[in-house]
Amino acid sequence: MSLNIYIVDDDESVCRALKTLLMTYDFQVKTFNSSQSFFDTVGIDEPGCLLLDIHMPGLDGWEVQKRILDSGSDRPVIFISAEKQDNAADRALKVGALGFLQKPVNGQTLVDLINGVKN
Amino acid sequence: MKRKIKIPLGTIKIIKKNKSRAPLLKKITRGNLEEQFRHQTDELKIRDGQIKQAANREKLGADREKVAEEQIYIQTKAMESASDGIFIIGAKKFNFPIIYANASFQVLTGYTKNEILGQDYFLLYGVDADLRIVGEIKETIRQGKPFHGEMLNFRKNGQKFWSSLRITPVRDSNGAVTHFVGIQTDTSLMKQRNLEIEEQREELLHVTRVGKLAEFVSSLAHEISQPLTAILSYAQAGQRLLKDREPQLHEILQYIINDDQRASEVIRRLRYLLKKSKPTFEPLDINVLIKDTTTLIMPHITAKNISMKFNLDHKLPRIQGDRIQLQQVLLNLISNSLEAMEDSKDPRELLIVSSLKNPDTILVQVKDSGCGIPEENMKKLFGHFFTNKPDGLGMGLSISRSIVEAHGGQLEARNNPDRGATFYFTIPLNMKTVHE
Repeated sequence: MSLNIYIVDDDESVCRALKTLLMTYDFQVKTFNSSQSFFDTVGIDEPGCLLLDIHMPGLDGWEVQKRILDSGSDRPVIFISAEKQDNAADRALKVGALGFLQKPVNGQTLVDLINGVKN
Repeated sequence: MKRKIKIPLGTIKIIKKNKSRAPLLKKITRGNLEEQFRHQTDELKIRDGQIKQAANREKLGADREKVAEEQIYIQTKAMESASDGIFIIGAKKFNFPIIYANASFQVLTGYTKNEILGQDYFLLYGVDADLRIVGEIKETIRQGKPFHGEMLNFRKNGQKFWSSLRITPVRDSNGAVTHFVGIQTDTSLMKQRNLEIEEQREELLHVTRVGKLAEFVSSLAHEISQPLTAILSYAQAGQRLLKDREPQLHEILQYIINDDQRASEVIRRLRYLLKKSKPTFEPLDINVLIKDTTTLIMPHITAKNISMKFNLDHKLPRIQGDRIQLQQVLLNLISNSLEAMEDSKDPRELLIVSSLKNPDTILVQVKDSGCGIPEENMKKLFGHFFTNKPDGLGMGLSISRSIVEAHGGQLEARNNPDRGATFYFTIPLNMKTVHE
């Protein structure tokens, strides 16, 4: 059974493109344009890896990750952001995420990181 | 006095001529004489009084003269003691001979009294003085008009100094110009101070511009990165779907990927170039910062006929902040207020208030009497690229907000109940909670 991937990004085009790419790797991909719609749709015990944009209106990526941790879920999270923040990669690891990738994201790098979860 | 005593003796003579009525007359005369003497005495007293008065008048004249002398002495002394250079030029001759110059004028020009007196005033400006201005001064005062201006002069030793100059014609009772009186002041120090303020203002504006540019590039980079992300992912997905089929199409997709990565690299470098410098926190007196910032922008405030008011709580504790960044915020809020009052016909008033919001937080308010903020703009106000100015970038308030937030505070706006708007921000006194 292939791994579920959830993409949360307020940019619709980014969501669609990443989904298209990841589907060529045979992942099951669902996209969400806001953190709220993700929480509304996906239960905390539903398995799957989360690709999370940082800068979004409403709850931003950091807050989403905190909420997931607080709920006791061990969902793997990969932060993706267009803005390069000096300490974002360190901070991502510190808050328990798998990693941080800067946009534009290279498909193979992303997939390697996701496959790290699987193994 | 003797001459006056003779008069009654003459009268006796006349009386003696009427011998027939002599006894009666004698009696009368005796009485008359007494009367006459009394009268004479009175008259003498009056005359004496008159003489004394005349003498007094003379004395008064002398006193007046003394007063006048004293006045001249004081005026001369005052002119000599004045810290401005004062001089008088004769106006009767073709050139401009100096007939008086006070001590300060000698210090100002570096020439001695002997060198100055009789000398053509304009020759003391030095050979490097601006001849165009000198010509303008001569032309103006020859027409009997006062001159007021500022120019660069040179001392006897060649040292240059800025002087503020006023020359006014002095006229006689017929209205003919006989002299010119001049006041010359060394304004080099003031000029220097103004120059320093100007430099500080330029520096702050430069920092603001760079800050705006950095924020602008950052937003732009973010906006462009999104489609680049999508393009890259689509192209890579296309390649994977093709697998080994259509090698030419595969190659085209590779070119798209390469150019996408090239564009990303450009943005990365641009971002690196305009990397925001980290704020340096130091203890700051917010009131001093407010005063300093308004000093920088004061020429704009006075030019726009705006009355500037402060209501500062001078007991406020110091905050931890980045001086330049907070000045940027204040400058931005003040500039916005000034622009909001641009078209206002009502009295224009800018009020800056500093206060303690609660024991841990300082509150600064910038209140104007301008056009206020339309309700539909309230929410967009602090977003990137929001502006109602034709030449605005729409970065000022969003940068200001991010600066205030970096200090752990909040920047908000509201319309005043009467007119205009108030922008206000808080700065917490305890910054430890902000730095992670």
